[in-house]
Amino acid sequence: MKISNKTLWLLLMLIILLTNGMSAFGLRVLSGWGLPPNIKFPYLTVWFTAGFACIGIPMLLRRVKAARNAAGWGALTSILSIGGQVAMANALNSGLPGNIVFPVTVGGSILVVAIAGKFFFAEKMHPLSWAGVAIGFVAVILLSVS
Amino acid sequence: MRAGLPMCIAGAISFGLLACVSKLAERRRCNPSALVVWLFAWATMIMLVRSLTLSNRVPLTWPVSAIAVVFGICAAVAYLAFQRSIEFGNITVGWLVMNLSAGVPALVSIWVYSERLSALKIVAFCLALLSLFCLFQGNRLEAREKTASQKADS
Repeated sequence: MKISNKTLWLLLMLIILLTNGMSAFGLRVLSGWGLPPNIKFPYLTVWFTAGFACIGIPMLLRRVKAARNAAGWGALTSILSIGGQVAMANALNSGLPGNIVFPVTVGGSILVVAIAGKFFFAEKMHPLSWAGVAIGFVAVILLSVS
Repeated sequence: MRAGLPMCIAGAISFGLLACVSKLAERRRCNPSALVVWLFAWATMIMLVRSLTLSNRVPLTWPVSAIAVVFGICAAVAYLAFQRSIEFGNITVGWLVMNLSAGVPALVSIWVYSERLSALKIVAFCLALLSLFCLFQGNRLEAREKTASQKADS
């Protein structure tokens, strides 16, 4: 059965919505159990290992090669992801309240991507999609503040 | 506190560049699964080093490990879906949906932990739904316009 790009895109957006947000929910569970803050490091080690195995094992079974160029891109994305987390943690440690740190970081990243998408990647979007981005931007800021 | 705001901006740029680098990798025809595998492999190594160098180590229990496995799989599936979606979808929309997904654990938290549902949260959830509606309708119209222009060309 062949799925059209439109259907596949909708399916992928649904998967992102359900899985990406929930991926951070474990930290909420841990905080509910009253475990020491240092638990997050071994927790995240298992968290990343599980993610690695979940994609890596099917790749191994299908004999898909993890090309060398992907190692470079992977390293870069990994550094940027951890760099963002460290910067956010440092901002919180400096005494800045979370209701400023989270909206600025999350909202700012969406702005960076929107500018890059328009001017660097020359992506075309329908005005309704731009309206969705603007409304979504406000929603994300409100979610971070609340 | 003065260093806090530049740190926030650095965080925003770092996360924004993360999405842009993913798009650049896609343009260079990097295999999405391979990219995600390497991303998680490098992050595992960094976290392993950090865990082993902790002065006061905390032992992992089975329930904590089980939760880490479930939510780690969620994270890998989400990033793979994002990487696949930017092959034919807009990066701005994909990244926005990644961030809008924060509403799902907020809803689950309200349900599981009986957290207070503030007026601000209700407004945020309504706006998120409206945004998703606009994004999905916009995508449908973009696809229709593309098909019409392809038909006109042929």
